[in-house]
Amino acid sequence: MKRHTRYVVPVAFLAYLLMAGSLLGQSSAAKPSASSIEIKPMDSGELPIPPAFRAAIYENLIVEIKKTGKFEQVYRSGDKDAANLPNLVTLRMVAQSFKKGSQKKREVTTVSGSTSISLKVQISDRAGKMLVDQDVVGKVRFFGENLRATYDFSKKVAKIVQTAF
Amino acid sequence: MMSIESVMFNATVAVRHGRAATPCGARGLSLLALAAALLFSPAPARSQALTQADVKLVIGGESIKKSSKGTLSIAGNSLKFVGGKGTLEVQASSILDVSTDEDSRQDITGAAKLATMAIPYGGGRFLSLFSHGVDVLTLEFTDVKGGYHAVIFELPAQRQGAPFKKQLVAMGAKASVPLAEPAATKSEKKP
Repeated sequence: MKRHTRYVVPVAFLAYLLMAGSLLGQSSAAKPSASSIEIKPMDSGELPIPPAFRAAIYENLIVEIKKTGKFEQVYRSGDKDAANLPNLVTLRMVAQSFKKGSQKKREVTTVSGSTSISLKVQISDRAGKMLVDQDVVGKVRFFGENLRATYDFSKKVAKIVQTAF
Repeated sequence: MMSIESVMFNATVAVRHGRAATPCGARGLSLLALAAALLFSPAPARSQALTQADVKLVIGGESIKKSSKGTLSIAGNSLKFVGGKGTLEVQASSILDVSTDEDSRQDITGAAKLATMAIPYGGGRFLSLFSHGVDVLTLEFTDVKGGYHAVIFELPAQRQGAPFKKQLVAMGAKASVPLAEPAATKSEKKP
């Protein structure tokens, strides 16, 4: 009996390793792959999001998605080269909420005046299958220009892309 | 300026002709009328030179680094930024939207404007990417392949973006918010 118990721990450990390995293999196999991505400009709907914010979010996102290195090509919305690519995914952003902050207020109080932008981020393939559907919030607290909220947002989206693909 | 000088020259020629012989009087008068018409007609937008130094390209300059400082101008039919070891040129006809901070101020009107103005620290007036001492010019445009681009310029003082917007719109650029009336005419008191 003692002989058998001697092998219980190493066998259990081996079994655990095998299980973990197979789970990891499953998760990596489930990850979608795409060679290129097209990024659409934000749909602000009825929310009064200033054009400078929309512009900054878009351009920051292009930079951050390129940085992930997950796609061979990052296409801008409307690019003719992306029109007939089979292995292309499309990223869309829909504004959910927008809270105006104030840089001056942040500087004075340091606890209030934060700016936040909440957007629904969706990535779908050519067939329309939704690969990513998440709400992302970009914030700027304490010190700093409102531009940082757009940077914060695009960093978070890039992180989602990094884990999803 | 060149056109005005040439018109003035034509006018003096016309007067001399008129004095030399009376049959030429009608011709001289018509030339004078033509000269006057040309003198008071508005100059086309293309000929007006607009240049602003010390402009910061905040984002969207492609090969130009973020926050590069340079000179923003209107050359020919396009907006040109030279600085940060590069040049960015945007054709006016390719601009989908041009806006300034002044437009964001315009968006809030009526009772909402009064209510937001009551918020302390200047936070309620309008939302800008930057502090209140500057103006921001934002362009959304397409490249030759039809790809969407956006670029943000920070101009050193308030209300400096409006002349650029006005000229770009005159050259064929689109603007979702119409051009603002000059502040001076708004505050003018009627007798």
